[in-house]
Amino acid sequence: MPKIFKKGVPHLLLMIYVIIILFPFVFILFSSFKYSNDAIVNAPFGLPDRISFENYAEAWKKAKISTYFFNSAYLSLSAAVVAIFLAAATAYAIARMRLKRISNAVYQFILIGMLIPSNVLFISQYILVKDLGILGTHWSLFFPYVAGALPFSVLLIVAFMKAIPSEMEEAAIVDGLGVIGSFLRIILPLSVPALVTVFIINLMGNWNEYLLSNFFISKDYLRTLPTGMVGFRDSFKMNYPLVFTGVVISVLPILVLYGFLQRTIIEGLTAGGVKG
Amino acid sequence: MNKTLRNPYVYLLFVVPTIGLYFLFFVYPVFQSVVYGVTDWDGLNPAKFVGLENFINAFKDADFTASIRNNMYFILFSIFIQVPLIITFSLLISGVKRFQGFYKTTVFMPSILSTSIIGILWQFMYHPSIGFFNKFLGWFGIEPIYWLSDPKWAMLSVLVTNAWQWMGFYIVLVLAAILAIPKEINEAAEIDGATGIQRAIKITTPLIMPIISVVVMLSIAGAMRVVDIVLVMTNGGPAGATEVMASYMVNKAIRFGQYGYGTALSIIIFAIALILTAIYQLVFARKSERVEY
Repeated sequence: MPKIFKKGVPHLLLMIYVIIILFPFVFILFSSFKYSNDAIVNAPFGLPDRISFENYAEAWKKAKISTYFFNSAYLSLSAAVVAIFLAAATAYAIARMRLKRISNAVYQFILIGMLIPSNVLFISQYILVKDLGILGTHWSLFFPYVAGALPFSVLLIVAFMKAIPSEMEEAAIVDGLGVIGSFLRIILPLSVPALVTVFIINLMGNWNEYLLSNFFISKDYLRTLPTGMVGFRDSFKMNYPLVFTGVVISVLPILVLYGFLQRTIIEGLTAGGVKG
Repeated sequence: MNKTLRNPYVYLLFVVPTIGLYFLFFVYPVFQSVVYGVTDWDGLNPAKFVGLENFINAFKDADFTASIRNNMYFILFSIFIQVPLIITFSLLISGVKRFQGFYKTTVFMPSILSTSIIGILWQFMYHPSIGFFNKFLGWFGIEPIYWLSDPKWAMLSVLVTNAWQWMGFYIVLVLAAILAIPKEINEAAEIDGATGIQRAIKITTPLIMPIISVVVMLSIAGAMRVVDIVLVMTNGGPAGATEVMASYMVNKAIRFGQYGYGTALSIIIFAIALILTAIYQLVFARKSERVEY
Protein backbone atom coordinates (compact mmCIF):
# COMPACT_ATOMS: atom_id res chain seq x y z
CA MET A 1 0.00 0.00 0.00
CA PRO A 2 2.57 2.66 0.96
CA LYS A 3 4.51 1.91 -2.21
CA ILE A 4 1.52 2.32 -4.46
CA PHE A 5 0.70 5.45 -2.53
CA LYS A 6 4.19 6.81 -3.00
CA LYS A 7 4.09 6.19 -6.71
CA GLY A 8 0.49 7.21 -7.13
CA VAL A 9 0.47 10.62 -5.50
CA PRO A 10 2.87 12.31 -7.93
CA HIS A 11 0.94 10.94 -10.88
CA LEU A 12 -2.32 12.04 -9.34
CA LEU A 13 -1.07 15.60 -8.85
CA LEU A 14 0.44 15.72 -12.30
CA MET A 15 -2.74 14.39 -13.86
CA ILE A 16 -4.69 17.17 -12.17
CA TYR A 17 -2.33 19.66 -13.73
CA VAL A 18 -2.63 17.99 -17.13
CA ILE A 19 -6.42 18.17 -16.87
CA ILE A 20 -6.22 21.88 -16.02
CA ILE A 21 -4.11 22.40 -19.12
CA LEU A 22 -6.23 20.32 -21.45
CA PHE A 23 -9.66 21.24 -20.12
CA PRO A 24 -10.10 24.55 -21.96
CA PHE A 25 -9.17 22.87 -25.24
CA VAL A 26 -11.65 20.06 -24.77
CA PHE A 27 -14.37 22.50 -23.75
CA ILE A 28 -13.75 24.57 -26.86
CA LEU A 29 -13.57 21.55 -29.12
CA PHE A 30 -16.86 20.07 -27.89
CA SER A 31 -18.61 23.40 -28.00
CA SER A 32 -17.46 24.10 -31.52
CA PHE A 33 -19.58 21.21 -32.76
CA LYS A 34 -22.73 22.45 -31.07
CA TYR A 35 -25.15 24.31 -33.22
CA SER A 36 -26.53 26.92 -30.83
CA ASN A 37 -25.73 28.92 -27.75
CA ASP A 38 -28.49 27.07 -25.90
CA ALA A 39 -26.82 23.75 -26.50
CA ILE A 40 -23.72 25.11 -24.80
CA VAL A 41 -25.54 26.85 -21.96
CA ASN A 42 -27.55 23.74 -21.10
CA ALA A 43 -24.68 21.29 -21.12
CA PRO A 44 -21.39 23.13 -21.36
CA PHE A 45 -19.29 20.08 -20.64
CA GLY A 46 -21.39 17.50 -22.38
CA LEU A 47 -20.62 15.90 -25.67
CA PRO A 48 -22.52 17.49 -28.52
CA ASP A 49 -25.66 15.45 -29.17
CA ARG A 50 -25.17 15.68 -32.87
CA ILE A 51 -21.95 16.70 -34.46
CA SER A 52 -22.36 19.61 -36.80
CA PHE A 53 -19.57 20.68 -39.06
CA GLU A 54 -21.58 23.61 -40.34
CA ASN A 55 -19.80 25.89 -37.90
CA TYR A 56 -16.53 25.04 -39.52
CA ALA A 57 -17.66 25.89 -43.00
CA GLU A 58 -19.28 29.06 -41.74
CA ALA A 59 -16.33 30.19 -39.64
CA TRP A 60 -13.90 29.54 -42.44
CA LYS A 61 -15.96 31.76 -44.73
CA LYS A 62 -17.21 34.45 -42.35
CA ALA A 63 -14.08 34.90 -40.34
CA LYS A 64 -11.82 34.86 -43.36
CA ILE A 65 -9.67 32.55 -41.30
CA SER A 66 -8.06 31.33 -44.49
CA THR A 67 -6.95 34.91 -45.22
CA TYR A 68 -5.63 35.51 -41.72
CA PHE A 69 -3.94 32.16 -41.79
CA PHE A 70 -2.24 32.83 -45.08
CA ASN A 71 -1.14 36.32 -43.93
CA SER A 72 0.31 34.96 -40.72
CA ALA A 73 2.01 32.07 -42.46
CA TYR A 74 3.76 34.01 -45.17
CA LEU A 75 4.65 36.97 -42.97
CA SER A 76 6.13 34.91 -40.16
CA LEU A 77 7.92 32.57 -42.56
CA SER A 78 9.41 35.27 -44.76
CA ALA A 79 10.48 37.41 -41.80
CA ALA A 80 12.06 34.41 -40.09
CA VAL A 81 13.87 33.32 -43.25
CA VAL A 82 15.23 36.78 -44.01
CA ALA A 83 16.26 37.31 -40.39
CA ILE A 84 18.13 34.05 -40.27
CA PHE A 85 20.05 34.77 -43.49
CA LEU A 86 21.01 38.26 -42.38
CA ALA A 87 21.92 37.05 -38.90
CA ALA A 88 23.94 34.09 -40.19
CA ALA A 89 25.92 36.26 -42.63
CA THR A 90 26.67 38.82 -39.93
CA ALA A 91 27.51 36.12 -37.43
CA TYR A 92 29.91 34.61 -39.96
CA ALA A 93 31.61 37.96 -40.47
CA ILE A 94 31.91 38.45 -36.71
CA ALA A 95 32.90 34.93 -35.73
CA ARG A 96 35.01 33.73 -38.65
CA MET A 97 36.38 36.63 -40.61
CA ARG A 98 39.61 38.14 -39.46
CA LEU A 99 38.72 41.73 -38.88
CA LYS A 100 38.68 41.36 -35.14
CA ARG A 101 38.55 44.96 -34.07
CA ILE A 102 35.61 45.95 -36.24
CA SER A 103 33.87 42.70 -35.39
CA ASN A 104 34.13 43.44 -31.71
CA ALA A 105 32.56 46.85 -32.16
CA VAL A 106 29.78 45.45 -34.36
CA TYR A 107 29.11 42.69 -31.86
CA GLN A 108 28.89 45.07 -28.89
CA PHE A 109 26.64 47.37 -30.87
CA ILE A 110 24.22 44.56 -31.65
CA LEU A 111 24.40 43.26 -28.10
CA ILE A 112 22.85 46.46 -26.79
CA GLY A 113 19.68 45.47 -28.59
CA MET A 114 19.22 42.58 -26.18
CA LEU A 115 18.68 45.02 -23.35
CA ILE A 116 15.84 46.91 -24.94
CA PRO A 117 12.38 45.43 -24.45
CA SER A 118 10.28 45.65 -27.60
CA ASN A 119 7.37 47.38 -25.85
CA VAL A 120 9.52 50.39 -25.20
CA LEU A 121 10.05 50.81 -28.94
CA PHE A 122 6.40 50.50 -29.80
CA ILE A 123 5.42 54.15 -30.19
CA SER A 124 8.59 55.21 -31.99
CA GLN A 125 8.26 52.26 -34.33
CA TYR A 126 4.68 53.25 -34.98
CA ILE A 127 5.77 56.77 -35.90
CA LEU A 128 8.66 55.41 -37.94
CA VAL A 129 6.53 53.13 -40.12
CA LYS A 130 4.05 55.96 -40.50
CA ASP A 131 6.84 58.27 -41.69
CA LEU A 132 8.14 55.61 -44.04
CA GLY A 133 4.67 55.39 -45.54
CA ILE A 134 4.28 51.69 -44.82
CA LEU A 135 1.79 51.90 -41.95
CA GLY A 136 -1.12 49.59 -42.65
CA THR A 137 0.86 47.36 -45.00
CA HIS A 138 2.57 44.08 -44.26
CA TRP A 139 5.92 45.81 -44.58
CA SER A 140 5.18 47.60 -41.31
CA LEU A 141 5.24 44.20 -39.60
CA PHE A 142 7.88 42.53 -41.74
CA PHE A 143 10.67 45.01 -40.95
CA PRO A 144 10.12 45.21 -37.18
CA TYR A 145 9.87 41.40 -37.04
CA VAL A 146 13.16 40.97 -38.90
CA ALA A 147 14.93 43.74 -37.01
CA GLY A 148 13.58 42.56 -33.67
CA ALA A 149 14.89 39.05 -34.30
CA LEU A 150 18.41 40.14 -35.26
CA PRO A 151 20.18 40.87 -31.95
CA PHE A 152 19.26 37.60 -30.34
CA SER A 153 19.82 35.57 -33.52
CA VAL A 154 23.26 37.06 -34.19
CA LEU A 155 24.25 36.43 -30.59
CA LEU A 156 23.28 32.78 -30.63
CA ILE A 157 24.73 32.02 -34.05
CA VAL A 158 28.02 33.80 -33.27
CA ALA A 159 28.43 31.65 -30.17
CA PHE A 160 27.83 28.54 -32.24
CA MET A 161 30.08 29.52 -35.16
CA LYS A 162 32.95 30.42 -32.87
CA ALA A 163 32.97 26.85 -31.60
CA ILE A 164 33.43 25.34 -35.08
CA PRO A 165 37.08 24.24 -35.50
CA SER A 166 38.90 26.12 -38.24
CA GLU A 167 40.82 23.26 -39.92
CA MET A 168 38.15 22.39 -42.41
CA GLU A 169 37.57 25.96 -43.46
CA GLU A 170 41.31 26.62 -43.73
CA ALA A 171 41.86 23.58 -45.90
CA ALA A 172 39.04 24.60 -48.21
CA ILE A 173 40.38 28.12 -48.53
CA VAL A 174 43.88 26.86 -49.28
CA ASP A 175 42.26 24.78 -52.02
CA GLY A 176 40.90 27.99 -53.48
CA LEU A 177 37.42 28.36 -52.00
CA GLY A 178 36.41 32.00 -51.62
CA VAL A 179 35.03 33.54 -48.49
CA ILE A 180 31.41 33.45 -49.67
CA GLY A 181 31.89 29.84 -50.69
CA SER A 182 33.32 29.02 -47.32
CA PHE A 183 30.32 30.65 -45.64
CA LEU A 184 27.72 28.96 -47.80
CA ARG A 185 29.30 25.55 -48.20
CA ILE A 186 31.19 24.93 -44.99
CA ILE A 187 30.17 27.06 -42.04
CA LEU A 188 26.46 27.42 -42.83
CA PRO A 189 25.81 23.66 -43.14
CA LEU A 190 27.76 23.05 -39.94
CA SER A 191 25.64 25.64 -38.10
CA VAL A 192 22.32 24.03 -38.90
CA PRO A 193 21.49 23.10 -35.27
CA ALA A 194 21.83 26.72 -34.15
CA LEU A 195 19.96 27.94 -37.22
CA VAL A 196 17.05 25.59 -36.51
CA THR A 197 16.78 26.84 -32.94
CA VAL A 198 16.86 30.46 -33.97
CA PHE A 199 14.44 29.84 -36.81
CA ILE A 200 11.86 28.22 -34.55
CA ILE A 201 12.07 30.95 -31.94
CA ASN A 202 11.62 33.65 -34.54
CA LEU A 203 8.90 31.83 -36.44
CA MET A 204 6.79 31.23 -33.33
CA GLY A 205 7.40 34.74 -32.10
CA ASN A 206 6.18 36.21 -35.38
CA TRP A 207 3.26 33.81 -35.63
CA ASN A 208 1.96 34.77 -32.19
CA GLU A 209 2.81 38.47 -32.27
CA TYR A 210 -0.16 40.61 -31.32
CA LEU A 211 0.75 44.15 -30.29
CA LEU A 212 2.24 45.43 -33.55
CA SER A 213 -0.16 43.63 -35.83
CA ASN A 214 -3.07 44.96 -33.81
CA PHE A 215 -2.07 48.59 -34.13
CA PHE A 216 -0.11 48.70 -37.40
CA ILE A 217 -2.69 46.92 -39.55
CA SER A 218 -6.22 48.21 -39.89
CA LYS A 219 -7.58 46.57 -43.04
CA ASP A 220 -9.34 43.34 -42.26
CA TYR A 221 -7.93 41.37 -45.19
CA LEU A 222 -4.36 42.18 -44.11
CA ARG A 223 -4.82 41.00 -40.53
CA THR A 224 -2.82 38.17 -39.08
CA LEU A 225 -4.33 35.28 -37.18
CA PRO A 226 -3.98 36.61 -33.60
CA THR A 227 -5.56 39.98 -34.37
CA GLY A 228 -7.99 38.53 -36.89
CA MET A 229 -9.34 36.15 -34.27
CA VAL A 230 -9.81 38.93 -31.74
CA GLY A 231 -11.71 40.93 -34.35
CA PHE A 232 -13.77 37.87 -35.15
CA ARG A 233 -14.60 37.42 -31.48
CA ASP A 234 -15.71 41.03 -31.24
CA SER A 235 -18.00 40.85 -34.24
CA PHE A 236 -19.60 37.49 -33.41
CA LYS A 237 -19.81 37.91 -29.66
CA MET A 238 -23.25 36.37 -29.54
CA ASN A 239 -22.54 33.27 -31.57
CA TYR A 240 -20.37 31.19 -29.26
CA PRO A 241 -20.08 28.05 -31.35
CA LEU A 242 -18.79 30.07 -34.25
CA VAL A 243 -16.12 31.80 -32.16
CA PHE A 244 -15.09 28.46 -30.66
CA THR A 245 -14.78 27.03 -34.12
CA GLY A 246 -12.52 29.89 -35.13
CA VAL A 247 -10.32 29.23 -32.13
CA VAL A 248 -10.10 25.53 -32.92
CA ILE A 249 -9.16 26.18 -36.54
CA SER A 250 -6.46 28.64 -35.57
CA VAL A 251 -4.98 26.49 -32.81
CA LEU A 252 -5.03 23.18 -34.62
CA PRO A 253 -2.13 23.66 -37.06
CA ILE A 254 0.16 24.78 -34.27
CA LEU A 255 -0.77 21.82 -32.12
CA VAL A 256 -0.20 19.42 -35.01
CA LEU A 257 3.19 20.98 -35.69
CA TYR A 258 3.96 20.75 -32.00
CA GLY A 259 2.97 17.09 -32.02
CA PHE A 260 5.57 16.34 -34.67
CA LEU A 261 8.35 18.67 -33.58
CA GLN A 262 7.83 18.87 -29.83
CA ARG A 263 11.43 18.10 -28.97
CA THR A 264 12.90 20.66 -31.31
CA ILE A 265 10.32 23.27 -30.35
CA ILE A 266 10.78 22.79 -26.61
CA GLU A 267 14.56 22.88 -26.90
CA GLY A 268 14.48 25.87 -29.21
CA LEU A 269 12.10 27.92 -27.13
CA THR A 270 13.76 27.20 -23.81
CA ALA A 271 17.14 28.01 -25.34
CA GLY A 272 15.62 31.29 -26.42
CA GLY A 273 14.06 31.85 -23.01
CA VAL A 274 16.38 34.74 -22.42
CA LYS A 275 14.78 36.50 -25.33
CA GLY A 276 11.25 35.81 -24.09
CA MET B 1 44.15 32.63 -46.58
CA ASN B 2 44.14 35.51 -44.17
CA LYS B 3 43.55 37.65 -47.17
CA THR B 4 40.46 35.68 -48.11
CA LEU B 5 39.03 36.00 -44.63
CA ARG B 6 39.85 39.69 -44.56
CA ASN B 7 37.97 40.57 -47.72
CA PRO B 8 36.48 43.93 -46.70
CA TYR B 9 33.82 43.95 -49.44
CA VAL B 10 32.40 40.64 -48.37
CA TYR B 11 32.59 41.78 -44.77
CA LEU B 12 30.52 44.84 -45.61
CA LEU B 13 28.11 42.75 -47.65
CA PHE B 14 27.58 40.49 -44.63
CA VAL B 15 27.35 43.16 -41.97
CA VAL B 16 25.77 46.24 -43.50
CA PRO B 17 22.22 44.93 -44.16
CA THR B 18 21.92 43.69 -40.58
CA ILE B 19 23.34 46.81 -39.05
CA GLY B 20 21.18 48.97 -41.31
CA LEU B 21 17.92 47.28 -40.38
CA TYR B 22 18.90 47.02 -36.76
CA PHE B 23 19.80 50.67 -36.67
CA LEU B 24 16.66 51.90 -38.42
CA PHE B 25 14.10 49.82 -36.51
CA PHE B 26 15.86 49.41 -33.19
CA VAL B 27 18.49 51.98 -32.35
CA TYR B 28 16.93 54.95 -34.06
CA PRO B 29 13.54 54.46 -32.35
CA VAL B 30 15.30 54.40 -29.00
CA PHE B 31 16.77 57.83 -29.64
CA GLN B 32 13.48 59.02 -31.05
CA SER B 33 11.75 57.90 -27.86
CA VAL B 34 14.02 60.07 -25.80
CA VAL B 35 13.39 63.00 -28.13
CA TYR B 36 9.58 62.60 -28.18
CA GLY B 37 9.57 61.96 -24.46
CA VAL B 38 10.46 65.54 -23.66
CA THR B 39 7.87 67.06 -26.01
CA ASP B 40 4.11 67.43 -26.02
CA TRP B 41 3.80 66.03 -29.55
CA ASP B 42 0.31 64.88 -30.46
CA GLY B 43 1.03 63.67 -33.98
CA LEU B 44 -0.58 66.70 -35.64
CA ASN B 45 0.77 69.96 -34.27
CA PRO B 46 4.47 70.70 -34.19
CA ALA B 47 6.11 69.31 -31.10
CA LYS B 48 6.97 71.70 -28.30
CA PHE B 49 9.79 71.04 -25.87
CA VAL B 50 8.37 70.57 -22.38
CA GLY B 51 11.40 69.25 -20.52
CA LEU B 52 10.65 66.72 -17.84
CA GLU B 53 7.00 67.70 -17.55
CA ASN B 54 5.78 64.39 -19.02
CA PHE B 55 7.75 62.44 -16.48
CA ILE B 56 6.48 64.52 -13.59
CA ASN B 57 2.92 64.24 -14.85
CA ALA B 58 3.26 60.49 -15.18
CA PHE B 59 3.82 60.06 -11.47
CA LYS B 60 0.92 62.39 -10.70
CA ASP B 61 -1.27 60.44 -13.11
CA ALA B 62 -3.34 58.22 -10.82
CA ASP B 63 -4.27 55.89 -13.70
CA PHE B 64 -0.63 55.31 -14.52
CA THR B 65 0.45 54.70 -10.92
CA ALA B 66 -2.45 52.27 -10.61
CA SER B 67 -1.11 50.45 -13.66
CA ILE B 68 2.35 50.27 -12.05
CA ARG B 69 0.69 48.60 -9.09
CA ASN B 70 -0.94 46.07 -11.41
CA ASN B 71 2.45 45.21 -12.94
CA MET B 72 3.69 44.62 -9.42
CA TYR B 73 0.80 42.18 -8.91
CA PHE B 74 2.11 40.24 -11.88
CA ILE B 75 5.57 40.12 -10.30
CA LEU B 76 4.31 39.15 -6.86
CA PHE B 77 1.98 36.53 -8.28
CA SER B 78 4.80 34.90 -10.23
CA ILE B 79 7.25 34.93 -7.36
CA PHE B 80 4.97 33.81 -4.55
CA ILE B 81 2.43 31.63 -6.34
CA GLN B 82 3.95 30.48 -9.60
CA VAL B 83 7.56 29.82 -8.57
CA PRO B 84 6.69 27.46 -5.70
CA LEU B 85 4.27 25.61 -7.97
CA ILE B 86 6.86 25.50 -10.74
CA ILE B 87 9.41 23.95 -8.39
CA THR B 88 6.89 21.47 -7.03
CA PHE B 89 5.73 20.28 -10.42
CA SER B 90 9.26 20.10 -11.81
CA LEU B 91 10.26 17.93 -8.88
CA LEU B 92 7.21 15.75 -9.38
CA ILE B 93 7.87 15.29 -13.09
CA SER B 94 11.54 14.55 -12.49
CA GLY B 95 10.53 11.91 -9.94
CA VAL B 96 8.30 9.83 -12.16
CA LYS B 97 9.54 7.42 -14.78
CA ARG B 98 6.38 6.65 -16.62
CA PHE B 99 4.71 9.40 -18.68
CA GLN B 100 7.54 11.83 -18.02
CA GLY B 101 7.66 12.86 -21.67
CA PHE B 102 3.89 13.16 -21.81
CA TYR B 103 3.77 15.45 -18.77
CA LYS B 104 6.55 17.59 -20.13
CA THR B 105 4.94 17.96 -23.56
CA THR B 106 1.51 18.73 -22.13
CA VAL B 107 2.51 21.32 -19.56
CA PHE B 108 4.64 23.09 -22.15
CA MET B 109 1.84 23.28 -24.69
CA PRO B 110 0.17 26.56 -23.68
CA SER B 111 3.40 28.48 -24.14
CA ILE B 112 3.48 27.80 -27.88
CA LEU B 113 0.07 29.38 -28.43
CA SER B 114 -0.54 33.01 -29.14
CA THR B 115 -1.58 35.06 -26.16
CA SER B 116 -4.55 36.46 -28.03
CA ILE B 117 -5.99 32.99 -28.63
CA ILE B 118 -5.42 32.09 -25.00
CA GLY B 119 -7.15 35.29 -23.97
CA ILE B 120 -10.20 34.36 -26.04
CA LEU B 121 -10.15 30.81 -24.73
CA TRP B 122 -10.07 31.93 -21.12
CA GLN B 123 -12.70 34.58 -21.59
CA PHE B 124 -15.06 31.72 -22.15
CA MET B 125 -13.77 29.89 -19.11
CA TYR B 126 -14.72 32.99 -17.14
CA HIS B 127 -17.96 33.55 -19.03
CA PRO B 128 -20.72 34.48 -16.56
CA SER B 129 -23.27 31.99 -17.88
CA ILE B 130 -21.47 29.28 -19.83
CA GLY B 131 -18.01 29.52 -18.29
CA PHE B 132 -16.49 26.67 -16.37
CA PHE B 133 -15.91 28.51 -13.13
CA ASN B 134 -19.46 29.66 -12.64
CA LYS B 135 -20.90 26.28 -13.63
CA PHE B 136 -18.60 24.70 -11.11
CA LEU B 137 -19.52 27.14 -8.35
CA GLY B 138 -23.15 26.73 -9.34
CA TRP B 139 -23.04 23.10 -8.25
CA PHE B 140 -22.35 24.35 -4.76
CA GLY B 141 -25.09 26.93 -5.00
CA ILE B 142 -22.75 29.88 -5.31
CA GLU B 143 -24.06 32.84 -7.29
CA PRO B 144 -22.37 33.55 -10.62
CA ILE B 145 -19.35 35.81 -10.42
CA TYR B 146 -18.62 38.27 -13.20
CA TRP B 147 -14.95 37.39 -13.27
CA LEU B 148 -13.74 39.79 -15.91
CA SER B 149 -16.18 42.63 -15.38
CA ASP B 150 -16.05 42.77 -11.59
CA PRO B 151 -13.12 44.96 -10.49
CA LYS B 152 -12.64 42.70 -7.47
CA TRP B 153 -11.97 39.62 -9.57
CA ALA B 154 -10.70 40.87 -12.91
CA MET B 155 -7.03 41.18 -11.97
CA LEU B 156 -6.91 37.76 -10.37
CA SER B 157 -8.61 36.25 -13.42
CA VAL B 158 -5.98 37.71 -15.74
CA LEU B 159 -3.17 36.58 -13.43
CA VAL B 160 -4.45 33.01 -13.39
CA THR B 161 -4.67 32.96 -17.18
CA ASN B 162 -1.16 34.32 -17.47
CA ALA B 163 0.09 31.66 -15.05
CA TRP B 164 -1.70 28.95 -16.99
CA GLN B 165 0.05 30.08 -20.15
CA TRP B 166 3.61 30.39 -18.87
CA MET B 167 4.11 27.99 -15.97
CA GLY B 168 4.78 25.04 -18.23
CA PHE B 169 7.59 26.87 -19.97
CA TYR B 170 9.37 27.46 -16.68
CA ILE B 171 8.64 23.95 -15.46
CA VAL B 172 10.48 22.59 -18.49
CA LEU B 173 13.41 24.94 -17.80
CA VAL B 174 13.67 23.83 -14.18
CA LEU B 175 13.09 20.20 -15.09
CA ALA B 176 16.07 20.26 -17.43
CA ALA B 177 18.23 21.57 -14.58
CA ILE B 178 16.99 18.87 -12.20
CA LEU B 179 17.65 16.11 -14.71
CA ALA B 180 21.18 17.46 -15.21
CA ILE B 181 22.09 16.88 -11.55
CA PRO B 182 24.40 13.86 -11.31
CA LYS B 183 22.50 10.80 -10.07
CA GLU B 184 25.19 9.88 -7.52
CA ILE B 185 24.27 12.74 -5.21
CA ASN B 186 20.70 11.57 -4.78
CA GLU B 187 21.73 7.93 -4.61
CA ALA B 188 24.18 8.65 -1.83
CA ALA B 189 21.49 10.45 0.13
CA GLU B 190 19.08 7.61 -0.42
CA ILE B 191 21.59 5.12 0.97
CA ASP B 192 21.97 7.38 3.98
CA GLY B 193 18.26 7.03 4.50
CA ALA B 194 16.86 10.31 3.18
CA THR B 195 13.26 10.09 2.02
CA GLY B 196 12.09 11.37 -1.33
CA ILE B 197 10.68 14.57 0.13
CA GLN B 198 13.82 15.18 2.21
CA ARG B 199 15.97 14.75 -0.87
CA ALA B 200 13.78 17.09 -2.87
CA ILE B 201 13.98 19.83 -0.24
CA LYS B 202 17.52 19.39 1.04
CA ILE B 203 19.41 18.32 -2.07
CA THR B 204 17.64 19.03 -5.33
CA THR B 205 16.15 22.42 -4.50
CA PRO B 206 19.43 24.01 -3.34
CA LEU B 207 21.17 22.62 -6.41
CA ILE B 208 18.67 24.23 -8.76
CA MET B 209 18.75 27.65 -7.13
CA PRO B 210 20.64 29.20 -10.07
CA ILE B 211 17.93 28.22 -12.54
CA ILE B 212 15.23 29.37 -10.13
CA SER B 213 17.00 32.67 -9.96
CA VAL B 214 16.83 32.79 -13.77
CA VAL B 215 13.12 31.95 -13.64
CA VAL B 216 12.50 34.82 -11.21
CA MET B 217 14.49 37.17 -13.45
CA LEU B 218 12.52 36.11 -16.52
CA SER B 219 9.27 36.47 -14.59
CA ILE B 220 10.14 40.01 -13.61
CA ALA B 221 11.08 40.85 -17.18
CA GLY B 222 7.91 39.18 -18.44
CA ALA B 223 5.74 41.00 -15.90
CA MET B 224 7.14 44.33 -17.04
CA ARG B 225 6.37 43.46 -20.67
CA VAL B 226 2.91 42.05 -20.17
CA VAL B 227 0.35 43.68 -22.46
CA ASP B 228 -1.24 41.30 -24.99
CA ILE B 229 -3.25 39.35 -22.48
CA VAL B 230 -4.68 42.51 -20.93
CA LEU B 231 -5.56 44.06 -24.29
CA VAL B 232 -7.32 40.91 -25.43
CA MET B 233 -9.14 39.93 -22.24
CA THR B 234 -10.18 43.20 -20.61
CA ASN B 235 -8.51 46.07 -22.47
CA GLY B 236 -7.52 47.41 -19.07
CA GLY B 237 -11.03 47.39 -17.67
CA PRO B 238 -13.22 47.27 -15.73
CA ALA B 239 -12.48 50.85 -14.78
CA GLY B 240 -8.72 50.38 -15.09
CA ALA B 241 -8.69 47.43 -12.70
CA THR B 242 -6.41 45.40 -14.98
CA GLU B 243 -4.57 48.21 -16.76
CA VAL B 244 -0.83 47.56 -16.94
CA MET B 245 1.85 50.10 -17.78
CA ALA B 246 2.31 48.94 -21.37
CA SER B 247 -1.42 48.82 -22.19
CA TYR B 248 -1.87 52.28 -20.70
CA MET B 249 1.05 53.61 -22.72
CA VAL B 250 -0.19 52.06 -25.97
CA ASN B 251 -3.71 53.38 -25.51
CA LYS B 252 -2.51 56.87 -24.60
CA ALA B 253 -0.39 57.05 -27.73
CA ILE B 254 -2.55 55.37 -30.34
CA ARG B 255 -6.08 56.16 -29.14
CA PHE B 256 -5.50 59.62 -27.75
CA GLY B 257 -2.56 60.60 -29.93
CA GLN B 258 -0.46 61.64 -26.94
CA TYR B 259 2.81 60.49 -28.51
CA GLY B 260 4.99 62.68 -26.35
CA TYR B 261 3.44 61.53 -23.12
CA GLY B 262 3.29 57.93 -24.33
CA THR B 263 6.99 57.73 -25.13
CA ALA B 264 7.79 59.28 -21.76
CA LEU B 265 5.79 56.45 -20.21
CA SER B 266 7.72 53.89 -22.28
CA ILE B 267 10.99 55.31 -20.96
CA ILE B 268 9.66 55.05 -17.42
CA ILE B 269 8.68 51.42 -18.04
CA PHE B 270 12.18 50.69 -19.28
CA ALA B 271 13.73 52.45 -16.29
CA ILE B 272 11.58 50.56 -13.79
CA ALA B 273 12.49 47.27 -15.47
CA LEU B 274 16.20 48.12 -15.25
CA ILE B 275 15.95 49.15 -11.61
CA LEU B 276 14.05 46.03 -10.60
CA THR B 277 16.52 43.81 -12.44
CA ALA B 278 19.45 45.57 -10.82
CA ILE B 279 17.93 45.29 -7.35
CA TYR B 280 17.22 41.64 -7.86
CA GLN B 281 20.74 40.98 -9.12
CA LEU B 282 22.32 42.78 -6.20
CA VAL B 283 20.15 41.36 -3.46
CA PHE B 284 19.41 37.81 -4.50
CA ALA B 285 21.19 36.55 -7.56
CA ARG B 286 24.69 36.97 -6.12
CA LYS B 287 24.01 34.60 -3.27
CA SER B 288 23.02 31.72 -5.44
CA GLU B 289 25.45 32.19 -8.25
CA ARG B 290 27.69 29.20 -8.04
CA VAL B 291 26.81 25.59 -7.58
CA GLU B 292 29.41 22.92 -7.85
CA TYR B 293 28.59 19.27 -7.89
